Amino acid sequence: MFERLVQEAPQFFGYHNLVFIGQAMGRTLWMTLIGCGVGFVCGLFIAIIRQTQTRILMPVRLLVIVYVEFFRRIPFLVILFIVLFAIEPLIPGTSLLGIATVSVCLLSTAFLSEVIRSGLESVPRQQIEGAATLNFSFIQMMSMVILPQSWRVILPPAAAFIVMFIKDTSLASQLGVIELTFAGKMLVNRGFSPILGFGAILLCYFMLSYPLSRFAAYLEKRLESS
Amino acid sequence: MEYTFQFAAVFRELPYLLGGAALTLGIAFTSFWGGAVIGVLGAVAKVNGKRVARRIASAYVVFFTNTPALVQIFLLYYALPDVGILLDPLVAVVVGLTLNSGAYLTEILRAGVISVRRSEIEAATALNMSRFQILLYVILPHIAKTIYAPLSNFFVWLVLGSSLAALFGVEELTGRAINISTENLRSIETFLVVAVIYALLTLIASATLALVGRWAFRVDAKVL
Repeated sequence: MFERLVQEAPQFFGYHNLVFIGQAMGRTLWMTLIGCGVGFVCGLFIAIIRQTQTRILMPVRLLVIVYVEFFRRIPFLVILFIVLFAIEPLIPGTSLLGIATVSVCLLSTAFLSEVIRSGLESVPRQQIEGAATLNFSFIQMMSMVILPQSWRVILPPAAAFIVMFIKDTSLASQLGVIELTFAGKMLVNRGFSPILGFGAILLCYFMLSYPLSRFAAYLEKRLESS
Repeated sequence: MEYTFQFAAVFRELPYLLGGAALTLGIAFTSFWGGAVIGVLGAVAKVNGKRVARRIASAYVVFFTNTPALVQIFLLYYALPDVGILLDPLVAVVVGLTLNSGAYLTEILRAGVISVRRSEIEAATALNMSRFQILLYVILPHIAKTIYAPLSNFFVWLVLGSSLAALFGVEELTGRAINISTENLRSIETFLVVAVIYALLTLIASATLALVGRWAFRVDAKVL
């Protein structure tokens, strides 16, 4: 077995294969970054809506809660299929990468909104009462009192969730998006040994997510003590 | 553009889907308890072990938590035949998920163990409790309270994660959904129904776990 690995290695790590893996890695990163960026903005929006008290927004709040609970409780693979079959007839010609990115956005919105919500709720009640006494409006209270204080509760778990989304994007290979996992499958189908092909892909994922998870651990330690 | 939803074709297959849901729960349970055994060993090694044991446990956790379960199972399924081990798809998925949950549970259990404070044990000693009493009445309840919420969240994650078994041809909930949708061509209806089944399944699981937690460990666990 090892002879085979040694024999294949020079060909496997040739220029074109490395470029191919690099491009695949780029797609994995793209899905994760766009997904989490959009998810963070929408999640923040949802979390803020859930903090409001007015009666007019009641149906919106209910809708948002149903959305968050539903999407946190179905597998990413099923979300991918639903988005695929929903978007294909509506907007024909959408790229598979686009469909996968939309799915990541939907999922990360649900998860990150929960992370942000627990951050917003960690701000002591006295702070909110103080802001109310000073006659702050809701928006002023959010932007000047609550949000600045909640970052340190939000950031560490948010970074940990991004690691989770990097790994979840591997399921997009099932649609045929040429990201890391699909690249590994193609390399193995081309005749390279599975140990070499999937091993290299595992290493690539590790290189993407290990620094991030170390960063999350660092943030947690750093922000906890301050 | 017109599209009429037709759920009747899916509802006809509901018993078949629920059978798949049973297999989904089975996969999640098996890998959860398998992972719990690894997790206890790993947590003990990380907290109390010698340097070598600590290193091995940390390397295991870091590797499995930073790479996707799907690719790990690909490696198990396609690379092990090279050394003469041919795994059944279901076995490959369960082994892969067990190794994965072992890594996560090691971390969760470790956090529980180190949350027990020295002063609590000292207080128990001052009350003249025996070592066994300290373990039973002080250490274990404390650990149970700390790890209960992450543990039940992790179980839900495992139920959802077991859906990747479908990619290896295992006929659990997602696998059966794929089977049905290729037959009745009502893809979006099928997957919507399956999504609702998953949501109900995990809701029931969370509610049961929260009740058990309240009854056995007096943990104030929330369902939603």
